[in-house]
Amino acid sequence: MRKVSIGIVLTAALLVGCFCGILLFFFGYAGPVMDAAGRYASRAVAETGAVNLVSAIYLNYRLFDTLFEILVFSVAVLGVRFYLVGRGKEEAVERIPESQVVRTSADLLFPLILLLGAYLAVFGHLSPGGGFSGGVVAGSGLLLCAVALGAQAIARRFHEAAFERLEWVILLAILLLAVFPIVFGRLPLSDLLPRGRMGSMMSGGSILIYNLLIGFKVFIGTWVIIYYFLRHRGEI
Amino acid sequence: MTCINGVTIAIVLFGIGLLGLIIRRDLVIKLLALGLLNGSTILCLVSLNSLPGGVPPIIRGPSAVLYVDPLPQALVLAAIVINFAILALALVFVMLLVERYHTTDTQRLEHEAEREETS
Repeated sequence: MRKVSIGIVLTAALLVGCFCGILLFFFGYAGPVMDAAGRYASRAVAETGAVNLVSAIYLNYRLFDTLFEILVFSVAVLGVRFYLVGRGKEEAVERIPESQVVRTSADLLFPLILLLGAYLAVFGHLSPGGGFSGGVVAGSGLLLCAVALGAQAIARRFHEAAFERLEWVILLAILLLAVFPIVFGRLPLSDLLPRGRMGSMMSGGSILIYNLLIGFKVFIGTWVIIYYFLRHRGEI
Repeated sequence: MTCINGVTIAIVLFGIGLLGLIIRRDLVIKLLALGLLNGSTILCLVSLNSLPGGVPPIIRGPSAVLYVDPLPQALVLAAIVINFAILALALVFVMLLVERYHTTDTQRLEHEAEREETS
């Protein structure tokens, strides 16, 4: 049934071989020089106030990158909504009710998963985590609830139209927060808030605010994507 | 074994992903292969800057510990998020194609599209 021509296989093998050869040539003999770590470790805490250096980089030094990352995510959510909004529901799948065990455990676990997501977002500048991972954790908790209770039951509780508007308000808030320092005569994307005591909750300048906003935005975006995929099918 | 580390595993995974992307005809499997490519790139970037005895880049105190470079990890975060976005959008496009042509096979998709053009 499936026939793959020899030419394609040879071309693929040649491509893979070239890639491996290039990689081995570059990295097989001498490792790349990595000396930025020491500089970040010695200066980042004093400059940004965040103990977690990864957060310090992607929400302070390289905030410009992160802004466009958020925009890419927003455009993806917008695309999913745009292409799926008028479709589906013609042959809706009948929902098979889950067992009592699944429903009870989802009820028990959902607040804990939300709490874990919020913790990851709030403590993103002190420990591993951050807005993106916290938002995705909370969103997958919502997916667990949708599996157990049915997507329509969840959709009734979380009003999608209000969520949509809130998502764009949060995106606007992030962009405004980034250009707000212009008002005080500073460069855009610079940090106005005090650095705080190292390792305390209120340290890291505006990294905490960014983490919270991004976490909420990713949570809403994940739910919107899940909701439209489920609605296209009818029911989970 | 020093020759089996993150970078070599990433190279092998990249090869598998590239082969799947070129050879397989199913669009969903092509998307899975694309995800494998992305995962192997992330693995390569993260394991390149791992140090023997290095600790995660979270400053605990003024003591002199060897921290790994935080920069690749911060860049990898963007790769993960954008891969998620690409996967969601591409799945939507596959769904639209399936709705119209009732297949995920690329060659049959081409045939169907050509037949639609000529008729």
